[in-house]
Amino acid sequence: MRWIWIDKFVAFDSGKCASAIKNVTLAEEHLHDHFPGFPMMPETLMIEAMAQTAGILVGQAMDFKEKVILAKIRKAVFHDFVRPGDTIRLDAQIESITQEAAGTTGRITRDGQPIAEVDLMFSHIDQNLAGKTFPKENFVFTGMFESLVRDIIAGGAPAESEHR
Amino acid sequence: MAMSRDDVFKEVQEVLVDALGVDDDEVTLDATLMGDLGAESIDFLDIVFRLEKAFGIKIPREELFPAESMMNNPEFVKNGKLTELGLRELREKVPHTDITEFQNDPDINKLGDLFTVGAIVNYVDSKLNAA
Amino acid sequence: MRFILIDKVLSLEPGNAIVTAKSLSLAEEYLADHFPTFPVLPGVLLLEGLVESASWLVRLASDFAHSMVLLKQAGNVKYKSFLAPGSRIEYTVTAKTLEADASSFSGYGQADGERIVEARFALRHFNLADRDPAMARVDKNVIESMRQRWRLLSND
Repeated sequence: MRWIWIDKFVAFDSGKCASAIKNVTLAEEHLHDHFPGFPMMPETLMIEAMAQTAGILVGQAMDFKEKVILAKIRKAVFHDFVRPGDTIRLDAQIESITQEAAGTTGRITRDGQPIAEVDLMFSHIDQNLAGKTFPKENFVFTGMFESLVRDIIAGGAPAESEHR
Repeated sequence: MAMSRDDVFKEVQEVLVDALGVDDDEVTLDATLMGDLGAESIDFLDIVFRLEKAFGIKIPREELFPAESMMNNPEFVKNGKLTELGLRELREKVPHTDITEFQNDPDINKLGDLFTVGAIVNYVDSKLNAA
Repeated sequence: MRFILIDKVLSLEPGNAIVTAKSLSLAEEYLADHFPTFPVLPGVLLLEGLVESASWLVRLASDFAHSMVLLKQAGNVKYKSFLAPGSRIEYTVTAKTLEADASSFSGYGQADGERIVEARFALRHFNLADRDPAMARVDKNVIESMRQRWRLLSND
């Protein structure tokens, strides 16, 4: 199983907000454990999908120079569950961003219907975790994420202004 | 927007309840952020972001929670206690906080005790009135 | 990857608290992406470990009355350190409220004496048949799988 929980960016307004989508498909192995006989996307993986959407938004705002990692889930609330065949949309917004950290808010919807709200805080680790050493290269933003973002930033899709 | 000190306190209370997951009645003016309310480094950042949003002001983290950068500076801290230079630096950085008691035993482990809910209310209040 | 984020139950106070453990191994494929050159258990999977631990308290308290035990809300989930392959984390979860269709918990994970994660969260519990009686058989199957999984985890 790859650790990538979004499929495509559909909007990207650098430094401000971004939207991504994820398809949920029976081809994903983990669904068969959660739960056997009634597969649904685990809530914690929906949080991760938002963390990747928002994390890339934050990372790109700093030219991918910082290692941006999830430090705190401020709040995540779920209203409904998501099933194979569904596509969820993740809309993330940067609330604040400094040298050391960033705060984001986000909504997850399915066909416009509310699924969840997820508010996160990211830490830029080289600036923060004194005493712990990390590999020098940016292991957070690898080629895998770069390719997701590359097309849209090069002007692939418009920066939709429907960010609420 | 003229906010009374009481309004400021209520807003600060809400921010701390959301950021730290504590109950309303735990957030008293005397409560210390680290000791009583369990706040940590990452929470301080969360609190700053939320206060900025709630009050529409800019808060350089250093102004509200300067402790961490000071702790690593050998000019300011010696043998686990703040030096004269350190105390002076502290006084300058947090004019909204009363450090008279802390001065008697400037143990860096006690630095956290300075950061009370009341100190935040004072800080926000002064920022709003200066605006 | 199999989506089970705890390996073993270490202790249980029915209706009140549970302590579980998860061992992390490089054999877990997703680690290759999280992160290359710095493999660590993803934060959301630390939360999932806490949620799974709590859900067993719920299932046992109701004798597996509900098929669905889902995360309704999580807050103040703080990530304090990393869990690396070769390490084992212990989750301690305490129930704050535990009712028929809703529950709330606080929990933390610790490895080698170090705090890795802390969280507060709430679950909701129901059967699919509550909305659609035709789903009663599906509920039954899920519940049976969960009973089996519990036997596996508790070495019963």
